[in-house]
Amino acid sequence: MKAPATALKQGFIRCHECGQLIKANTTLICPVCRSRVSARRHQNLHLTAALIISSLSLYIPANIFPIMTVTELGATARHTIAGGIAALIHQDMIPIALLVLIASILVPLLKILGITLLLLCVHFKWQVDALLFTRLYRIIAFVGRWSMLDIFMISILVGLVDLGGVASVIAGPAATAFAAVVVLTMFAAKSFDPRLIWDHQLSHD
Amino acid sequence: MPVFEACPECDLLLNQSKAAPGDKAHCPRCGFLLHRPHKHSIERTLALSAAGLVLIVPANLLPMLTIKILGKTQEGTLWSGVSALLKEDMWAVAAMVLLSSVALPVINLILAFLISFHLFAEKFNRRIMVWMRWYQHLFEWAMIEVYALGIIVACVKLSDMADIKFGFGLYAFIGLLMINTLLANEFDNYTFWRSITHLSKRQRV
Ligand SMILES: [Zn+2]
Repeated sequence: MKAPATALKQGFIRCHECGQLIKANTTLICPVCRSRVSARRHQNLHLTAALIISSLSLYIPANIFPIMTVTELGATARHTIAGGIAALIHQDMIPIALLVLIASILVPLLKILGITLLLLCVHFKWQVDALLFTRLYRIIAFVGRWSMLDIFMISILVGLVDLGGVASVIAGPAATAFAAVVVLTMFAAKSFDPRLIWDHQLSHD
Repeated sequence: MPVFEACPECDLLLNQSKAAPGDKAHCPRCGFLLHRPHKHSIERTLALSAAGLVLIVPANLLPMLTIKILGKTQEGTLWSGVSALLKEDMWAVAAMVLLSSVALPVINLILAFLISFHLFAEKFNRRIMVWMRWYQHLFEWAMIEVYALGIIVACVKLSDMADIKFGFGLYAFIGLLMINTLLANEFDNYTFWRSITHLSKRQRV
């Protein structure tokens, strides 16, 4: 089957902001919403790659350092992300432990690996199942914000449990690194243009 | 003249959809949900955003959780996590929590209210396009539902060491969460941009 017509091949550019179709090479500013018009966010591939490399390098300290310190009746314990999950398993809260495992460890890793795969696919013009790669992009874009779960949980504990020696929770350095990973990977997903996956595919069916 | 549109995720050129209210229009190539027009989507958005703006007040001011450990009690509001994090010099995490759980939900509700009010009253305002663009970009950074999940995990973590009581702030927050979900469902970007285009064209005549 012949490649179906994309807007760009027919000489149209879709405005990123409002969806208006604009004749290519006629204007730089969308007549409807006044935002800048560009056919593809090509130059953003470098930005996406830079964001992914930064988030990968922060993912390591986020998992090594303690994300919170819990004091209970004078005894102080430092928890890493994995330690927090282990504590939940110890409490027999397996579903919640699984939830935190997915949101805090698997999702950031999936995002970093997934966006790397998308970047490689576009850069090397791989002939792939574009639908599959688009679905991967969608999953990455959808799940990103749920990684904030651990940060919110810690902020709630830190605000609530402040009873001196009886019980107190303090956030650890990994919290900053982890929040940065979430924000950077969200920006990375946002900066990637999924239409680039389709552009270099020779056949569609 | 036939009117075209393009899929934002694969750039396929499509005839402008005639999806009826209640229908969902998907891209035939990549499956992207192009739009899902609703009946009275503008009126509902207006009502929901107004209700949300009212609920924001108790959700922010009233205590959400109260804990009791060895006779000592402490209350926590939506803000206590942020202020505790600031006290510990975790300003980056505090800023992220403040933005995603308090500031951006409020800003998004205000934007949704302004946009739907102007469309409802058929009052054209130059800034309505700017509001739309901000709304689209800020949408995913308001994370009320993730925060709600964070509350659940925090309660599970505390269940071993403390007695937990739920406050009215939490009920208001859950109301806000429901309103936000309904609002996201009603606010169809495509429908809104088309209404804005119609409104601005009529203005020019
Ligand atoms: Zn498509």
